[in-house]
Amino acid sequence: MRKELRRWAEILRERALAEGLSFPPVLFEEVGPEEMAMLAAYGGFPRRYSHWRFGSEYLRYRETYRYGLGRIYELVANTYPVHAYLLKGNTLLAQKLVMAHVYAHADFFHNNLAFKPIPKDMEAEMAHHAAFVEKAMERHGARSVEEFLDLALSLENLIDPHALYIQRQAGEDKEERPPDRLQVRPYLDPYVNPPPAPPKEAEEGASPIPLPPRPTRDILGFLARHAPLAPWQKGILEIIREESLYYVPQAATKILNEGWATYWHTRLLLPLLSPEEALEFAELQAGLLAPHGFNPYRLGYLLLKEVEERWDKGRFGPEYEALPLGERLTYERPTGLGLKQLFQVRTVHTDLSFLDSFLTPEFALRQRLLNPEDLPRFAEAKKALLFRLTNGGYPIVELVDANYGNRGELLLEHAYEGVELDLKKTQAVLENLYRLWGRPVHLKTVVGEKETLLSAGS
Amino acid sequence: MRPIERDLLRFKEIVRGEVKKRAREFLTREELFGQVEGRLVSIPLPQLELPKIVYGEPLGEDLGLGGPGTESLGPAGHVPVAELELEEFLDLVGEALRLPRLRPKGEGEVTEEAFRYTTIARKGPRGLRHVRRTLKESLRRALITGEYRPDEPLLVPEREDLRYKAPRSKPRPHAQAVVLFALDVSGSMREEELRLVKTLSFWITLWIRRHFPRLERRYLLHDAEAWEVTEEEFFRAREGGGTRLSSALLLAEEILKPYPEAFYNRYLYHFSDGENWQGDTPVALEALRRLLPTLALYGYAQVQGPYGQGRFLEDLKEALGKEEGLATTEVRGKEDLPLALKRLLGG
Repeated sequence: MRKELRRWAEILRERALAEGLSFPPVLFEEVGPEEMAMLAAYGGFPRRYSHWRFGSEYLRYRETYRYGLGRIYELVANTYPVHAYLLKGNTLLAQKLVMAHVYAHADFFHNNLAFKPIPKDMEAEMAHHAAFVEKAMERHGARSVEEFLDLALSLENLIDPHALYIQRQAGEDKEERPPDRLQVRPYLDPYVNPPPAPPKEAEEGASPIPLPPRPTRDILGFLARHAPLAPWQKGILEIIREESLYYVPQAATKILNEGWATYWHTRLLLPLLSPEEALEFAELQAGLLAPHGFNPYRLGYLLLKEVEERWDKGRFGPEYEALPLGERLTYERPTGLGLKQLFQVRTVHTDLSFLDSFLTPEFALRQRLLNPEDLPRFAEAKKALLFRLTNGGYPIVELVDANYGNRGELLLEHAYEGVELDLKKTQAVLENLYRLWGRPVHLKTVVGEKETLLSAGS
Repeated sequence: MRPIERDLLRFKEIVRGEVKKRAREFLTREELFGQVEGRLVSIPLPQLELPKIVYGEPLGEDLGLGGPGTESLGPAGHVPVAELELEEFLDLVGEALRLPRLRPKGEGEVTEEAFRYTTIARKGPRGLRHVRRTLKESLRRALITGEYRPDEPLLVPEREDLRYKAPRSKPRPHAQAVVLFALDVSGSMREEELRLVKTLSFWITLWIRRHFPRLERRYLLHDAEAWEVTEEEFFRAREGGGTRLSSALLLAEEILKPYPEAFYNRYLYHFSDGENWQGDTPVALEALRRLLPTLALYGYAQVQGPYGQGRFLEDLKEALGKEEGLATTEVRGKEDLPLALKRLLGG
């Protein structure tokens, strides 16, 4: 890395720490656009398992850059130490901005509660996964592994986003896991601890313990344990599940995390700008916060600024809440609690709870997210937005019964909340599930306001 | 090869497979019409999307607050779009439909300057700087002046060391072709049939140009008389009087005169419902007998109109069926297009 950059990385790091951010060491690396496109396609890691969808993503990022339609300024991976990639050839100011931004991301990864159970050595895990898939390809043929990956990836959202928190409570799932299991990496588990025989067609006096013992959203995990698959296939299911879980908190805090990073690069950098740099900074900032479509940087940043101002001016608490809308805007009871409140928000919230708590009609009006005449529909609009942030925007689906009708069939249930599923895609996923499970698969959902059972294989 | 390149190659391989699988469908995709050489063809490939259980309609998108669609949240939630060079796309479609390769008759008289960056110059734009050669010069100078120290081999190129890649022009012969489309507008061609003609001529043009980058195009219309038109006029629906196919052939002879067969691969395509005036058929066949040996191909497509079709196709096959360079086909509907195209290109 250039000397000048290294000097600035140090200056900004010290400023960030002095202002109260805390983070593990951050390693910056400058990379060219092609390498950046590769890292972006690989979700921020230099090594992933081999699959064509990474090639497709890579192409998309590369062409986007090539035609000047957009560039990725920075990529940060939540690892220890934090790895951050800067785009080679950017101006010094842009790199300074990005580095300040990265320190705030590192602080967010390090302190936000949603990231607590996430392993910090994911770089190594990803490389292990890559090696596992590669070996499987050598043994079982690249095409058959690819086909299985296609299948497994279509199930990648069928996970329990809370699985990593739950696993901490050891022994709870005793009835599912025999006691004498050896502790190994999950994708090696089927090799070391051979699974029990798959459920058979109804026999007399079939297993007294229902499977799963209670409804589970961890469908991938369940399949990895119980589907009649080869060990390498189970390993792949575990890999997809693990990687999917890794990205859950990132998706769940996109608005907050980008808002936080934007807030801090602004705060850290503004006092250091020379007059020549001020204009360039303003340009970069305007691009970042452009109100085109849905911009998580913009929403997160503006809302954090709002929280800071409100808490600085004492615009919170029962007394404030009781005021009519018009008076709230001018209410003032200086407390200077803004920054403290921001750190609190950064630690405990995800996008869902953040917006739920702080996205107010006042804010929406002030930032022109809402026309005044739409005010009566604010609650409805907010509910819709929160709904789309729930479960990463995916429908919530549970596995209810793995011996449905006493025939060893799968029964899934969609927690219908007024929005119907995409039936074509859902049907395709059910077909994939059927191929994995080997017996018919059903999904209970609502179509046209009527309870409906979608099925594959029967 | 870097792993990502391998993933990319695999993706491209899958895309090629998809394009070939859907080649017939692409024939009638009108949004492809008007594509020009060197451009990218953008093909959405929803079948390459990994299906997920997702919501159908997003909720409350009309409300002011906006919000992320599943696209910006869930991992990799976009429809893969393949961008292919038109040339590559054509080759894939051509391969799938087994379109024949066209061979140039002569070298062609036109030579074109083709620039290749094959030499080295001492001046040039920064972007073309040749790093290795520059460092080599720098090393040479350092050795000569005795500045070079093996224990600290630092090379700082000076202005005189700088070397640049430079172009050298290379003339090369270029095969060329001319294609003339003739359309019978004598009353029976309607929108439906015109669309088939348009589709065929579009693909014929692309395919010929794929082989002869220097392609000139001419168009003529005829009923009992023939007249030359522009490309736009050619595809406008209209009705005329009776039919004399010979009028088109005679005018074609005139139009093609500035394109001597020694230098040009001359293609003539003729679309008609085949209801020629009986008395005209011998005249037309006579004209064709003269014209045919000078052409790379005479393609005759008989399009079925609302009132059935005439018998020129039969007459033509009977009289000249054995001749080389004659390509005939019948088109009744969209489903005939792949075969018709193949036939008209001499396959």
